[in-house]
Amino acid sequence: MDYLSSREEFTALQERLCSDYNADIPTIIIPAGTCGQASGASDLVRTAQREIIRRKLQDKLHLRVTGCHGFCQMEPSVLIEPAGTFYPRVDITGMKRIIDALVRQEVVEDLLFVDEETGQRIARQDDIPFYRHQSRLLLSQNEKIDPLDVYDYLRIGGYFAFVRLLADMEPRQVIEEVKDSELRGRGGAGFPTGMKWEFLSGAADGKGKYIVCNADEGDPGAYMDRSLLEGNPHSIIEGMLIGAYATGADQGVMYVRTEYPLAIKHLNNALKQSRALGLLGGNILGSGFSFDISLVKGAGAFVCGEETALMRSIEGRMGEPCQRPPFPVQKGIHGKPTLINNVETWANIPVVLRDGAQEYRKTGRMNTGTKIFSLVGKIKNTGLVEVPMGTPVREIIYDIGGGQSGKAGIKAVQTGGPSGGCIPAGMFDIPISYESLAQAGSIMGSGGMIVMDGNTCMIDVAKYFMNFLKDESCGKCFACRKGTQRMFELLDDIASGRGTLNHLKILEELALILKDVAMCGLGQTAPNPVLSTLKYFREEYLEHIEHKRCPAGVCKGLISFTISELCTGCGACVKACPEQAITGEKKQRHVIDQDRCSRCGACKSICKFEAVEIH
Amino acid sequence: MVTVTINGLDVRVEEGTTILEAARFVGFPIPTLCHNDGVSPYGACRLCVVEIGQEPRSKLVSSCTYPVEEGLKIRTASQRVVRARRMIIELLLASCPQSKTIQDLASAHGVRQQRFRQEHEDCILCGLCVRMCSEQMMAHAIGFRGRGEDRSIGTPFDMSSDVCRLCGACMYICPACQLRCTYNQPEHAICNACANLRPPCIEKEEYSDLMCYMKPCVACEIK
Amino acid sequence: MSPEYIKEIVSHHQGELGALISILEDIQARHHYLPEDALRIVAEETGRSLVDIYGVATFYKAFSLKPRGKHHISVCMGTACHVRSAPGIVDEFTRELGLRPGETTQDREFTLETVNCLGTCALGPIVLVDGHYFSNVKRTDVKKIIAKTSSGFAEEPGDREDRLFPVEVYCPHCNHGLMDEQNRIEDYPAISLACSFNGTRGWVRMSSLYGSHCLESEHPFVADTPVKFFCPECHAELVGKAACLDCGFPMVTLGFQGGGSLLMCTRWGCNNSTISLNGHLWRDELRNDAREQIPG
Repeated sequence: MDYLSSREEFTALQERLCSDYNADIPTIIIPAGTCGQASGASDLVRTAQREIIRRKLQDKLHLRVTGCHGFCQMEPSVLIEPAGTFYPRVDITGMKRIIDALVRQEVVEDLLFVDEETGQRIARQDDIPFYRHQSRLLLSQNEKIDPLDVYDYLRIGGYFAFVRLLADMEPRQVIEEVKDSELRGRGGAGFPTGMKWEFLSGAADGKGKYIVCNADEGDPGAYMDRSLLEGNPHSIIEGMLIGAYATGADQGVMYVRTEYPLAIKHLNNALKQSRALGLLGGNILGSGFSFDISLVKGAGAFVCGEETALMRSIEGRMGEPCQRPPFPVQKGIHGKPTLINNVETWANIPVVLRDGAQEYRKTGRMNTGTKIFSLVGKIKNTGLVEVPMGTPVREIIYDIGGGQSGKAGIKAVQTGGPSGGCIPAGMFDIPISYESLAQAGSIMGSGGMIVMDGNTCMIDVAKYFMNFLKDESCGKCFACRKGTQRMFELLDDIASGRGTLNHLKILEELALILKDVAMCGLGQTAPNPVLSTLKYFREEYLEHIEHKRCPAGVCKGLISFTISELCTGCGACVKACPEQAITGEKKQRHVIDQDRCSRCGACKSICKFEAVEIH
Repeated sequence: MVTVTINGLDVRVEEGTTILEAARFVGFPIPTLCHNDGVSPYGACRLCVVEIGQEPRSKLVSSCTYPVEEGLKIRTASQRVVRARRMIIELLLASCPQSKTIQDLASAHGVRQQRFRQEHEDCILCGLCVRMCSEQMMAHAIGFRGRGEDRSIGTPFDMSSDVCRLCGACMYICPACQLRCTYNQPEHAICNACANLRPPCIEKEEYSDLMCYMKPCVACEIK
Repeated sequence: MSPEYIKEIVSHHQGELGALISILEDIQARHHYLPEDALRIVAEETGRSLVDIYGVATFYKAFSLKPRGKHHISVCMGTACHVRSAPGIVDEFTRELGLRPGETTQDREFTLETVNCLGTCALGPIVLVDGHYFSNVKRTDVKKIIAKTSSGFAEEPGDREDRLFPVEVYCPHCNHGLMDEQNRIEDYPAISLACSFNGTRGWVRMSSLYGSHCLESEHPFVADTPVKFFCPECHAELVGKAACLDCGFPMVTLGFQGGGSLLMCTRWGCNNSTISLNGHLWRDELRNDAREQIPG
């Protein structure tokens, strides 16, 4: 790798890479992020390598192993460039057939994606409903580059925005541009990014300002940051370089959660490559501007996503938040002014500077730009979706997500993780924006979107989040520590049939006060899952309390399993039952011993005849 | 000097003072548990919350950590503040009813009920002893361990600490009226390291020439 | 316990941000937990009080102060996994292993843990065992996962056929083939190279099955030492510009007929090898001008 010492050398390299690249050669693209690897993408990569080497196809076929493309449910998948052909759920034989067909310049018809609604096969990725309704400003880059290869990123114009502004723009102008783009923090609260930068830029001059990339994506159910870190690490480095130049920071920190080993690997590699190229370090491209980034690993604490706790963790201490002020830009890491932005925000920065604020503002209604959501739960198409701000929730869930996955209809969608709330199906017409989601009692959050259907109990969901939070609360602030613990207790009482109307009253009172009195963001937003379910699903709470019934059939204390006359006596449930609670003669209707039954649901999930009923 | 408005009263105070100091200076009482003038502010007990700013954008902050700002409007006993404080006290009572300090707070703030499942914990994790040990005694013998509901205060590995000088400052400063000690035998709730943990006054004849370091004395008041 | 390696770890992270967490992570990587003595040495070496170190070690969930089992089972309890019945999976593991989350079996084989989100939400419920991801896990899969874990993730019949394949490589400097027809390993011609480490020179023959780590060598190697590889014909050192993603050591670069390169880590015991077929990357790799002649 050649060290670049001037802008001219950079431009020459970029031009060489573009001219060397032959876009007409068919390229096999295999997404192999963590989820790809979990579903077997590594086998496809091997098969492809093997076939290419064996048949000496190196110059006729290219192979690109990339990060996640978003349609995780269809993984392991294969995408062919330049035709744009998409093959979902490919196995090893399928891979071999695809290569055969590629050599003959054909398409393997029977491996193509089938649209369930029309029954038609769709060849091109862009025509698939899941992709067609998205605007993949950031995620589409993941397909184009091998995340381990900085040259790929350079080839698609990477670092160009940074190099250009390094020569042509004053830091002041960069900040103006970011302010002009109206980009807001993608981590949850939505603070205007440009304004934050201005604060840091205005903080006392001199050495020692930090900028931090918050990659402690702790929200369960959200993983868009992981896919960006794994699939396009250089875009985040470029974003941070731009931020450093604009604000005068000389040290960067990436705080990555330890649960993302692949992201850490890719980031480390990317940092090394950027340093080798001279894009990080001292006197970058001979401009006199110096900046370097170090990677700090988290060690498994949700609260470290909160900025003040994150800074403590970077200092190598317990991740306890402090009350602000002082704000991080006044007194951050080791007392130095510090700016913290989320991964997705940083990834947006090169786009803003590349296209210009005016162009960027054209995407999105109400707020600008796009937002990536991880659409998961009881929905047909799960994966990462990137949509312009202002897109109605309905469009995401039905047009892109394809609606419910099971028989039970969609009841609500949970956004914002443990700090967010549930939006009931009746409100799916609201557009996605920081304000509208807050108005609905939820938050944008980092972008988790968990779809819940008739088989999801809202009390169970609230209880799940309280259980999560009582473990993840740092425990420093009494209100949060005891508040979450007591809310869990109350919800547990309700879920197990011990609830009274008084429980509901105390729960609501406590939730409202905790929101007010807790020290940090975690505690202040902790009651949201309770408050929003109380607001939209009070009926369900009352059903649990007054009739001791769980309509979704989830809360173990309130349900019982029975076997109906649909039973054929196959005996599958007898084997499945861990408590030996099911008895019956062969080919006769079986019976569940209610005293022994632990309500685990193993019989229901194994029964092919839908004979097991929940009451 | 900055001018702030506390409960409608304009007050000029030194820059850098906290709301708590300013309010107490002019005579508005704010209850605290985790605050002590001798150690750094911590903001953990949330009892000292006050309301700042103008409605509807006002918010609650802990007065012990919030530095005064020019023109800041502060209410130390608004309805919102009192309601929050009462809930905190109720939560405290639910966990630590044996503490006289907490019982006193409850009666002073008119908390007449405790609606949660009753627990009997010794410690409210206010962290005064930890700060006392590290900041005043420079011993660093005890500290926080774990997080969330498993958080506790004690020595590393629950073993008697090499650096503890048995100075007793941690016990002196504890507002929960629980004598906290650096257990050296985790299986016994009673510590052997300092067998004289009981206040000397209990066995007056034996320790008649010792001075009582508990002030106010718990043993004498509880009976 | 030897304090030497802990001193080494501490000095390695000297001055880094978040050094303490990295130090503890490194220690834990070695022992699978944080032994008490190690924490005391860290406190001494870093000059921080033991109570601080202990606080950090108990605050973060990734650290364990209790010895953990050989196999580490983490069940994801993220929201997406939760609504797809992850709690049932935990129950099943609990029943099968007789462990509650956070506990280790008596024989120190298994540790069961829950993790808040592994970030593979679309494939939930997810179980992560020793770095292997199991997706869309059902209750009935739990037994299979445990069996597979106990067998050390042994390949199933047919697996080997699909995963391992023979490659044919040449020296990127002199274009001379490196395949040794006389000496076969695993029924295929071996890749024959000259090598040197710690001043010792000799030959090494490796299996040409990509993904297999079988080899023969003249001298026994010492684990974790860097080894230099040379072309037996032109004596050029076979080192590329790429570094191993796992350990940062340089990678050996060997060419394929038709293009592309095989990269192998030069740290003994690392076993990391990759194939690069990405046009400009391998061309760049093979454009290696700095030739070092075999010493002596």
